[in-house]
Amino acid sequence: MRRRILTALLSSAFVATAPACGNKSDGNTLAVAAYTTPREVFARSILPAFAAARTQAGKPAVTFEESYQASGAQSRAVAEGFEADVVALSLAPDIERLVKAGLVDETWDDDAHGGMITRSLVVIAVRAGNPKGITDWADLAKDGVEVLTPNVRTSGGAMWNIAAIYGASKRGHAGDGDAEALLAGILGNVVVMDKGARDSLVNFENGVGDAAITYENEVLLSKQEGKPIDYVSSNVPKDTLVASVYVLGELESGSSRSAAAVSVALLLAALLLQPLAQRMSARAGRDG
Amino acid sequence: MAEAKRKHGFPRVWLVAAVAIYMLAVVALPLGALVAGAADDIGATFATLGHPEARGALFRTLALATTALVIDVIFGVVAAIVLVRDRFFGRRLLGWIIDMPLAMSPVMIGVAFFVLFGRQGWLQPIVAATGIDVVFAFPGMLLVTVFVTLPFVARETQLLLQELGSSEEEAAATLGANRWQTFRMITLPNILPGVASGAALVVARALGEFGAVLVIGGAISGRTDTATTFVYHAVEERQPAAAYGISIVLVALSLAALAAFAIVHNRTRR
Repeated sequence: MRRRILTALLSSAFVATAPACGNKSDGNTLAVAAYTTPREVFARSILPAFAAARTQAGKPAVTFEESYQASGAQSRAVAEGFEADVVALSLAPDIERLVKAGLVDETWDDDAHGGMITRSLVVIAVRAGNPKGITDWADLAKDGVEVLTPNVRTSGGAMWNIAAIYGASKRGHAGDGDAEALLAGILGNVVVMDKGARDSLVNFENGVGDAAITYENEVLLSKQEGKPIDYVSSNVPKDTLVASVYVLGELESGSSRSAAAVSVALLLAALLLQPLAQRMSARAGRDG
Repeated sequence: MAEAKRKHGFPRVWLVAAVAIYMLAVVALPLGALVAGAADDIGATFATLGHPEARGALFRTLALATTALVIDVIFGVVAAIVLVRDRFFGRRLLGWIIDMPLAMSPVMIGVAFFVLFGRQGWLQPIVAATGIDVVFAFPGMLLVTVFVTLPFVARETQLLLQELGSSEEEAAATLGANRWQTFRMITLPNILPGVASGAALVVARALGEFGAVLVIGGAISGRTDTATTFVYHAVEERQPAAAYGISIVLVALSLAALAAFAIVHNRTRR
């Protein structure tokens, strides 16, 4: 059950692969376990690009089995036996759970990017035209403002949201400095706590609430899809937290995943840091 | 007599109207909205059904429902006969246990199966020895589906058996029929309407099950995605046409199953 993180092997990754032909466990099917928001950039851009590049290089065709669940839920699923080859989660503790379970090497965040593939900001999404005049965190605690944020028990994004509000307040940029009172006020206005960041924003798009606390990239993607929600720079709270997104590969020499699968997973994880994938991420609203 | 007449007088009309309006609001309106949504972009709705991942998810759901149905019918009939016809220590407790799945949240059921079959699960050594994946695979999804549908056939059959009494079976035995003959010629035809109503509930529930199969299966595309988790993710992906397409198919399948078992129920009722 020896597994190691893929980023540690990044430099050697491109020579590591020699997948055998044949069935599922030979590295031609990769299981990708991710949190909810990278769905579009993974499923529509990066994974197809990876598959196409391999086919062009004369390697056996690779297909993907993808699962997108709230970061905490996904982390527990992998810990409980979902045999994933590559894992992308939104919160370091969710990855640390996998380190504890012996599925991920403890050096996963030792690379130049601290284990991250992309960054975004915690922002406030509002209705088109910002009818409630929301410009800062303190506005979310006001009476009559309905707020959406996901559930911290399942969602990594929800944790970032809480940290962003708390941090902004502690630094004196939100409310009157009483961070706990501000948090209590905002959470008291939350009308729906969805499982994951994506569920939360889709509910907002469908008309629930006046404001949604979410990742900047989620709002940008939503606008790309033509949803009438607003996000202008003045709506980005000045002192917001950078939410980081982590990725790690899962290597195992266990029963069902072969060494070939591992090497292909390594290649995919390496690709996530390559300029092409980073440009795809940027197009989908992510900061590289 | 006067009292009976009053019962059928004025309040009845309002009662019927109230029930009709209630049904319209609770059932017909959402169903209508679903159909309207599907009709909105009918081309995209149908295109969804040609998508291999959508078809795979539907096929998986159908496979779960039919397999669970076979298991539930066999177990349910045996359980009902034992619970009604036999007297033994712990019979009432067994009756309660059969009802347990009705009282449990499906998500909790999914989590409970991790305790059994997860990486650190109690039964993990057995799972490893057989080499059959349970969690995040079809067997685990089948287990939770059987779990949530367990009471239906057993309960419906049990009610009918109690109502029928055992006089016909005793008569058959007196006339020299052995246990199998009695079951096949007397008991089985008698309980068929109950089995049919139970089966309808099993199929409807299995087709619509979401929480338990999501937790135990992980909704992995091409592997453990079911029709309901597909709809859930289609909504998250802002693909309403795909969500409507699969939803309509699910509703149609459920209605077809309900209708089919209703016909069996009516034909076999004596």
